[in-house]
Amino acid sequence: MSGALAVYQKELATYFRSPIAYYVVSVFLLGTGYFFLYNVFFVGETGMDGTFRNMGLLLITLTPLISMRLLAGEYNAGTAELLLTLPLRAWQIVLGKYLGAVTILGLIAAGTLIDLVPLYLFGTPETSTILAGYLGFVLLGMACLAVGELFSALTHNQIVAALITAAVLLGFWFVGHLQAFQRAEFLRALTGYLSFALHFSTFVQGLVRSEGVVFYLVVSGIALTLTAEYLEWRR
Amino acid sequence: MSDAAAAIVLESVSKRYGSTAVVHDVSFTVERGEIVGFLGPNGAGKTTTMRMIAGFIAATSGRVLVAGHDMATDHAEAARRIGYLPERPPLYDALDVRSYLAFVAKVKGIARAARVAEIERVVTACHLEAVVRSEIYKLSKGYRQRVGLAQALLGAPDILLLDEPTAGLDPGQIQETREVIRAFGHDHAVLLSTHILAEVTLICRRVAIIDHGRLLAIDSPAGLQRAEAQTNQVLLEVTAPSEALCETLGAVAGVEAVNIGAPTANGVLTAECRVDARDGVEAAIARAVAGRFALHRLERRAPTLENVFLRYVGGKGDRAA
Repeated sequence: MSGALAVYQKELATYFRSPIAYYVVSVFLLGTGYFFLYNVFFVGETGMDGTFRNMGLLLITLTPLISMRLLAGEYNAGTAELLLTLPLRAWQIVLGKYLGAVTILGLIAAGTLIDLVPLYLFGTPETSTILAGYLGFVLLGMACLAVGELFSALTHNQIVAALITAAVLLGFWFVGHLQAFQRAEFLRALTGYLSFALHFSTFVQGLVRSEGVVFYLVVSGIALTLTAEYLEWRR
Repeated sequence: MSDAAAAIVLESVSKRYGSTAVVHDVSFTVERGEIVGFLGPNGAGKTTTMRMIAGFIAATSGRVLVAGHDMATDHAEAARRIGYLPERPPLYDALDVRSYLAFVAKVKGIARAARVAEIERVVTACHLEAVVRSEIYKLSKGYRQRVGLAQALLGAPDILLLDEPTAGLDPGQIQETREVIRAFGHDHAVLLSTHILAEVTLICRRVAIIDHGRLLAIDSPAGLQRAEAQTNQVLLEVTAPSEALCETLGAVAGVEAVNIGAPTANGVLTAECRVDARDGVEAAIARAVAGRFALHRLERRAPTLENVFLRYVGGKGDRAA
């Protein structure tokens, strides 16, 4: 575990010395602020539902920028040759880097808490619904980052990693829309189950269902395992 | 490491990418307390072999043993024994030198209490005191190379793998780096790749010559030079008719073969004689030639490692040193 911890600390130290992290965090917070104001003043919402839905889509489009450098950046800088020859196991590298990216996600989530201040000052939002929404947000983000890390391992080019990740995540986000076109019950269930958006919307409605929690954790687990396996294999 | 096991053992190691063999059936051993130079032209397979020993890539066939641990099955144990400086120093530009070394020290499992002293030690050894607080992207090429070396030295590993450790350094830094390597080689095993011949003559106990992915020779520098001494050369510039010169040179005892080039515009011939190793053969040639013709230049080519190297890698042992 200490190896993964060292990678994690290194990861955080390098993240905040590159402009990408600041860029992603600020764009995310500005975007969320805009959607929040829109939903409250123009739509007349008194909760976070609409804002959460917008945050989900922002997450899908911005997490590839966080995850793209995870391994592609190491290949490019030649530091992969250091990481892979130090006494580290592949899973320690993958996990340490993943947790570094998840920490950025946590910072983003924490930054959006400011939107709750006016909600609580001028209204009585349902705290349990908001908590469920944040849980869904973090779980969704974790799944996105794990998928992003996998694609970052597969290419040396960070831009390519980001583009492929964004395409795949958008595919998983919108796959639920195909439900309406399926006749077979099995395909309806499958497209619904694979949809990042449908699971997220149950959380946004205030429902924490084990199905949703398990789904995001399993997606993250599979992506991270594949990444570690790939690093071992490419030797 | 167990004393019985050699530091590095390669058993018919090959690496193929598709149908191209980059390294072909290479076997050799590096013992503890020995510095071995890995010599070859660019693209000979030095870096690929180093990467296989370091565990960055796996051998297609054959075995790599590091301190008795098989790199393929026991990577983490083997990696613990190795300090590795790749061809391109693997540095995190955004970190400062101290945080970078601290990261590597942590991963190498150096206990927290010993870490500061250990970083201090490698910083001093590699003369990095002036830049410990600088971010790595600000450093010159020479400093980057030495930060890479410092990283490899952390934790005093049993085995040091250095891929062109003096590339990009100025002469003073090269000198210092060689001292560091020499001092380290007393009780550790060092394998260093280079295409600088002086480097291996100066610090290596043995030299492995590799070209086109094949190991061509492995011996002490002196041993390789002894072998080359058989093909000593004497080079002459003389104003003389070609046949007469050939006849004169052929009559000198010790001259085995004569090769005369085309005359220049003012009638000067260049002749190369292959001679045996006996002393005074060039003096005998000088006497024989100077008595009859105008001798402008005579040079005996000592068996340098360069000649050895060129003979192995290009079949051109007679190329100018």
